[in-house]
Amino acid sequence: MVRYWQEFFRKNGPPLAFYLLISVACWMLLMIIMPQLFMLDFSFRTNVPPPLWGTEAHGYTLEHYQYMVFGSAQSTDSYNFVDLSVFGRTILTAIFVTLIDVALCYPVAYYLAHVAHGGWSRLMVMALIIPFWVNELLRAFAFKIMFGSTGVINNFLITVGILDQPFDFIRNGVALYSGLSYAYILLMIFPIYNAVESLDKNQIEAARDLGSPWWRIHWRVVIPHAKPGITSGCTMVFMLTAGALAAPQILGGPSSLWFTQIIYQAFNQAGNWARGSAYGIILLTSSLIFVLCMMRIFKVKLGEIAR
Amino acid sequence: MTSDHIRKFFAVFFVLGFFAYLFGPLIIMSLTAFNSSAFPRITPWECFSVEWFEFLANDAKLIEGLQNSIFIGVGVVALAVPLGLSGALMLTQVQARIRPWYYTITIAPILVPGVVLGISTLLFWDRVGTMFGASRDSIFYNGYFLTIVGQATFISAYTMLVFISRLQRFDRVQEEAALDLGATHVQTFKKILLPFLKPAIASAAVLAFLASFENYNTTVFTIVSKSTLTTFLAAKVRYGINPSVSALAVVIVVLTLFGAALHEVLKRRELAAEKESAKIAKGEQATRKAKSRFILDPAVIIIFLVTIAGLGTAYFAGTMGLDECKAEVRAEKQRIVQERVKKREQKTMFQEAGRQALTPGATEEGAKGKPAPGTSNFQGLFSPNNLEEQAGAKQRAQEEDKPRTGTEQFQGIFAPKNLEEQAGGGEGQKQE
Repeated sequence: MVRYWQEFFRKNGPPLAFYLLISVACWMLLMIIMPQLFMLDFSFRTNVPPPLWGTEAHGYTLEHYQYMVFGSAQSTDSYNFVDLSVFGRTILTAIFVTLIDVALCYPVAYYLAHVAHGGWSRLMVMALIIPFWVNELLRAFAFKIMFGSTGVINNFLITVGILDQPFDFIRNGVALYSGLSYAYILLMIFPIYNAVESLDKNQIEAARDLGSPWWRIHWRVVIPHAKPGITSGCTMVFMLTAGALAAPQILGGPSSLWFTQIIYQAFNQAGNWARGSAYGIILLTSSLIFVLCMMRIFKVKLGEIAR
Repeated sequence: MTSDHIRKFFAVFFVLGFFAYLFGPLIIMSLTAFNSSAFPRITPWECFSVEWFEFLANDAKLIEGLQNSIFIGVGVVALAVPLGLSGALMLTQVQARIRPWYYTITIAPILVPGVVLGISTLLFWDRVGTMFGASRDSIFYNGYFLTIVGQATFISAYTMLVFISRLQRFDRVQEEAALDLGATHVQTFKKILLPFLKPAIASAAVLAFLASFENYNTTVFTIVSKSTLTTFLAAKVRYGINPSVSALAVVIVVLTLFGAALHEVLKRRELAAEKESAKIAKGEQATRKAKSRFILDPAVIIIFLVTIAGLGTAYFAGTMGLDECKAEVRAEKQRIVQERVKKREQKTMFQEAGRQALTPGATEEGAKGKPAPGTSNFQGLFSPNNLEEQAGAKQRAQEEDKPRTGTEQFQGIFAPKNLEEQAGGGEGQKQE
């Protein structure tokens, strides 16, 4: 170990070695690891007003995790159905949104990478970047305009004669689901596009020459090659959707709360930081566990993701 | 048509649909910014106007949020670029055994929900502040500091990825040569590595700034009592919406288009420069051509001029004739409302008439007996055209003869749809 550090200092020279060590240490310890550990610690403590933090009264407890499952002691229900159902719906919707995004993006990515040619595909790939840089809030806002009771979609459906009364898309969650699918769709298409593009065209040609139908070419040649891209896209979209705050705040109806909104409420309205952190930990660990399980099932390593 | 053709047709159709899904909402939102209607929508279209942009420019809170966002963005660039660079340089030097762990930990913040990052940053620095006994207005509780640190946590991972991909093409031999020739480590870093990384530094900085500028999930927790552009926007969108938000979106979309075009121009220039160096290396060309100044690049000038011209046209079209158009729209609306009032009153009259009709001949008598006074709203009822309608009056009156109070009828005139048109601004709250 000592020899390693000696070698490190000799190779980089003292000024650079110090710069590297200090900044990496700051980043990893002060910004990544320690805050998470403090949050974990905080989530196990009682909820007392800030002046009492760190005193005797600020002891350890499991109450916030218990609250998530069983609800408050006063309530008559045996489980905390409100929070549990919001949590379950958040995870299920995130999975659903991820699947929709894969279904939408894979054909488009394949088309852009292997069917479209030259300038056109280049232009289209560049055009994809534009919605990506438009603010998440504004994208949600655009959906709110479209799905409003006098929005374009309602007006269109009424003019065509399918509806005779405006349909409340926002209350029914349609606006939220389409807004969420839209919000992170580009984090799905770019990894898949990069993966598919790196596939040698000759492989597809060979499969075709050998008489393989188009669906089998995809199933046996293209998809296996694109697997790391698909997985990385799915991971990103799932994590970001489960942790989204802007779209649910803007597009969510009164009855469709998102789990992050409960965390937000615990922090900003109830002033219960401890419960907020406990819920944050629950969100983080459960979505991480889900992603790791999926990666185990599909046999992809973390290193292949985020390329 | 073979099945191949059909498949091709479907593929094109699908891709077009996908792009419509991507751009449709943005285009509709952008259009609503130019409608003078107080609620963001494109139908009914009222007047082409740029007043929402003026409204935007006069919003002091927006300007304050924008300034804060820019300040924080610059801070994040200053923090995340060096951190990402050191993270990338370190990656090649850590022991192979711990390299996967190192990589996982540094990449993890990208996957951690922004909400969680915000909370943990807030809590951690709060605890640190308490440990040092710092006062409430010290740096540990400062919204700018917390936001910069919180955002830099994951943005550094982005910049690190940019540097890693550039460093993969770096030839270590150059560094060794410099060291052999007696350069110090710092000199080597400055003269060899940094120039090589220059494009990566530029794109990492742009990426970091944009990521910081549009971040909401982390910022909303760490900003404490201040506001940034995104928290301002969120508040605005949640509590009552009007087209000034769309106007802001238009500004952002135009800037993005501009940036994308600029990026493309820069990339082409870089490619051209690389080709040129390759030629020089092969000896096909003696010297480097004089590099044209960036400002004088024709493509840049054209983009710039087109943007200016577009903005100017929009401004003139949006301000000229706006007042007349608005007056027309208002008159039209008044006419519609009055028509509805008339219809209501007609119905009331018919109802009355229907009741009277129980005693035979009353309707006709009423119709003949009361010539319409000029200013009366009832005028229409007795005009010659209406005689036909009157014939069916009895039947209709019976249909309508449900118990009704005066207020109910009055409410009908101001039905929710009417209200929307008259005070569209209120609709946002209603939808909340």
